[in-house]
Amino acid sequence: MQPILDILASGVHDAKNQLLLAESLIADAEKRHGIDLGETRYAIEAAAGRLSRALSAYRLLGDGARLSPVPVIVGDLCDEVALDQRRHLAARGIALEIRCTVLDEWPLDRELVGDLLNNAVQNAGRYARSRVLLRADQEDGWLVLRVEDDGPGYATLPPPPGVGLRVAGKLAALHRRRDRAGSVDLANGGETGGAVFTVRLP
Amino acid sequence: MSADLSRKRFLVIDDQAQARDALRTIAQTAGAFAVEFAANYQDALYRIRNNTPDVILCDYMLGEGRSGQQLLEELRRFNLLPDETIFMMVTGEQTYEQVVSAVELVPDDYIIKPFSPDKLLLRLERIVARKAFFADYYRKKRRQDYAAALASLQAKLGSEAGRPYRFEILRQRAETLLASGDPEAAETAYRGILDNFDFPWAHAGVARALHRQDRLAEAREEIERVVAGTPNYFDAADLKAQICLAQGDAGEAQRVLDDAAQRTPRNYLRKRLLAEAAALNGDAETARAVLADVVANDTMPGAVTPEDRLQLARSQVDARDLVSAERVLLGLRESEVQNMALDEQASFSALLAVASPEKGKSRFAGLRPALLAAELRPDTRLDLVRGALEVRDAELADRQATQLLGGDDAKRVFAMLRKLYALYGREVDFRELQKQIALRRIHHA
Repeated sequence: MQPILDILASGVHDAKNQLLLAESLIADAEKRHGIDLGETRYAIEAAAGRLSRALSAYRLLGDGARLSPVPVIVGDLCDEVALDQRRHLAARGIALEIRCTVLDEWPLDRELVGDLLNNAVQNAGRYARSRVLLRADQEDGWLVLRVEDDGPGYATLPPPPGVGLRVAGKLAALHRRRDRAGSVDLANGGETGGAVFTVRLP
Repeated sequence: MSADLSRKRFLVIDDQAQARDALRTIAQTAGAFAVEFAANYQDALYRIRNNTPDVILCDYMLGEGRSGQQLLEELRRFNLLPDETIFMMVTGEQTYEQVVSAVELVPDDYIIKPFSPDKLLLRLERIVARKAFFADYYRKKRRQDYAAALASLQAKLGSEAGRPYRFEILRQRAETLLASGDPEAAETAYRGILDNFDFPWAHAGVARALHRQDRLAEAREEIERVVAGTPNYFDAADLKAQICLAQGDAGEAQRVLDDAAQRTPRNYLRKRLLAEAAALNGDAETARAVLADVVANDTMPGAVTPEDRLQLARSQVDARDLVSAERVLLGLRESEVQNMALDEQASFSALLAVASPEKGKSRFAGLRPALLAAELRPDTRLDLVRGALEVRDAELADRQATQLLGGDDAKRVFAMLRKLYALYGREVDFRELQKQIALRRIHHA
């Protein structure tokens, strides 16, 4: 299994180098001609995101999956999700609101949790009517991240099992601190009235 | 706060030409004033030494068995990277995240490819803000005014503005305590961090602090776990080896360094340590091969020192390859030898006395009065034992051996010392020396 993973990782690595080149050429063209190709760049980053996501899903669902937790400023993490998603959502008439009340650093796997939030915001954007809300709060010593929308909510709760949710659950559970482990929760209602995707990290 | 990039000089380090162009374009779009390139490790070192850039964007994979992490570690070790300079690692895959979450020496940030100019700008702005927050601490640390540096960190720890940087403040505090020569306080500081979260680098910090306190068994236990849990954390392997050497377990030190060196083939600092471990382990052949590699291939400017050549000659003497040892020693210019400190001069003359008695004996004899009285490093004393046994100067040899057996490094050098005495058929005398040391200990107790 390790050689297969190495081959996949190396392929993904090469592809991402090419995508960086593509993105730089587009950024250059934007600057040179004074045009906005933001959606093109979004598509490139989304493609790179899919590649990483497939690879990390493979890693996370396998045995011996390991995280790389570093201290992360939670507000910065939310701002990066906003940078990645806000313009794309706005182009479809959906406003992304960020509300972070956590001032302290939190040890977590920055890339994987960031990707999880990006994914959740993208999903919410598919069902939202006009609004997606990303909230970060500290509750009883837990970091609670919520993505809410004003769409119709989940049709069934719990929803049918899928790979995405399994990966999210495993990722949350791998975040451990003393005897506590993270979790993922889906609900309807919340502040905006639609679906609520919640990640709790110790 | 905004990072004004219009006056900042960037250095892009990447072995792939296309990737360099891409990074330059992104940096320029983000507003960089000037972007320079380095295509390889040597070139990067040269540019950073001669004209330190404001921002370094360095790819993690540099080719030829080198990594951006190795560059970062060497820059920090040789004090070539001011705290004010921004070092950002650029990486395409997740292997580097596992490294950065584990190690003690981290870049200011890392960024995953591909990324937009806006993302780079956002990341740089944050680093600029963080460096501004720590600016007065950096100045005090650079002056080695540790008390003032610690006071500055203490004030930051209690401040509202310091809340987002809490772990960084605690980490700097522990490092500064260790650098200031207070390993007990550093240990407490690292343990405080671990109470909050189980970072591998904090475990390594505890091990380092325990090592400085000479609490070797505890240090070993702590570092074993780090090495087992984070196999890409090569600094931890080095630390484990140093602890093993202090414990007299040169065999395990050599094993762990050999493993790490195979995966970091161009890290010559590690190879020097491997040679030292092999030599103390009695594996003169490996020591000789590794040092020959170092002397031939470490192309960092000024990296191969006369001390390296002495170490190579020492390993050749131990492997009884006296012809090569003589060539290496006589390859040193007389002016280089004259400029050496007493320790190195002593080693040079002792090793030459073994490698080439007709050329070395008289020089060694000339130094003898000074050597009998001087305070010398343990490794120098070992060389004197080598030379003195060779020229049948029992008094000089026994006096050095007595100092070594009664000193702090006794465990580290014991096996090598016994081997040297055995080589010259003096096992009985060696046991007698041991007995006298033991008796003296009892008398003093």
